Amino acid sequence: MTTTNDEAGAVAEVFRRRAAPGAALAGAADAVAAACHAMAARFHRGGRLFTFGNGGAATDAQHVAVEFVHPVIVGKRAMPALSLTGDVATLTGIGAATGFDEVFAHQLRCFGGPDDMALGISPDGRCGSVLRGLQEARGLGMLTVALTGGDGGAVAASPAVDHVVTVPSGDPRVVKEVHVTAYHVLWELVHVFLEQPGVLGREVVA
Amino acid sequence: MQQLYPFLAPGGTDLSAVLADVRRSTAEKANEIVRLREIVLEEYGAELAACAARMAESFRAGGRLFAFGNGGSSTDAQDVAALFLNPGGGARPLPALALTTDVAVVTALSNDIGFEVVFARQLAAFGRPGDIAVALSTSGNSDNLIAALREAAGRGMVTVGLAGYTGGQMAETPGMSHLFVVPSSSVHRIQEAQTTIYHALWELTQRELVGEAA
Repeated sequence: MTTTNDEAGAVAEVFRRRAAPGAALAGAADAVAAACHAMAARFHRGGRLFTFGNGGAATDAQHVAVEFVHPVIVGKRAMPALSLTGDVATLTGIGAATGFDEVFAHQLRCFGGPDDMALGISPDGRCGSVLRGLQEARGLGMLTVALTGGDGGAVAASPAVDHVVTVPSGDPRVVKEVHVTAYHVLWELVHVFLEQPGVLGREVVA
Repeated sequence: MQQLYPFLAPGGTDLSAVLADVRRSTAEKANEIVRLREIVLEEYGAELAACAARMAESFRAGGRLFAFGNGGSSTDAQDVAALFLNPGGGARPLPALALTTDVAVVTALSNDIGFEVVFARQLAAFGRPGDIAVALSTSGNSDNLIAALREAAGRGMVTVGLAGYTGGQMAETPGMSHLFVVPSSSVHRIQEAQTTIYHALWELTQRELVGEAA
């Protein structure tokens, strides 16, 4: 099959759109490092990670959880992480009874405690349920981390969020791709801190 | 390990040093995936266009897409299905199903027959000639994916494989319509590049279908 110049141009344009937002993650290294350190300190004292997001981000929440529970790198410790998007009975039950904005907040109230962590993923920062989840988590004394995109929306602006990485792209698929790198890096570098428990006693950040 | 993170050497427990190394590592990984995407475009740009044209042809003829994978790749399979089925904006919704989400089906097949048939048996039930099977794996060696791709090929489906490393068994599976092997040995970078590949396939498929009646 021959490819026309038009098609080749379209494919190249799709890839070109990824380059700058992908490289921008390097500029967020301070935020990533601070989040990893704070998360490692929580895991070190027995905390658990709860992850959540809507649509495509719901699959990212599950991906983050499986990274921690079943590490792909042999020899890494299994850490407690649960995606709040996996139980369809719970999601539809809370959604139908209370409203969809409460699907994550409700579960956090039941599962979460002050040593735990919440990771909310919202590609445009405008997911009501993700925001409510992070607010609830903050109220419970949990560490709150958000992955957003675009201008970060209400999620990035929320005082309930301790650590945020915002991907500078208006294309939700580009944002998602950089989120995947961000949470892979989060997982790997949390383990770097966990292997240095001497640095986990004092938190430089919230 | 010490080569990757020299500060893990005995005595290297200074917090600011660890933070500095973690920041450096973050920047390195971000740059690594940017470069890997450039390589994927060079190696597979024409194949991506051809695959999207074939997928659009399938959807035009009433075909459906089935996506499957294990572990992290199962979440990618669900993302593929969600993207095609409910893309939002002005994009055209297309019939797509992830074979990883129905716990009743997955546990029944695993318990009664074995985990290697969980996707193949679902394709045997659902698959029709011209439908699309999308298999996602980092190693290319998952038995249940290879079994499903053989089932799909036998049924005249369009088979699309995403793998990493050097493609593993997937690269040796007969009847593959389109195979994308991300040339990396990092599971994480492979998954990140695969996300770009299926996003590109979706966008190019939509582009092929623009202006046509839903």
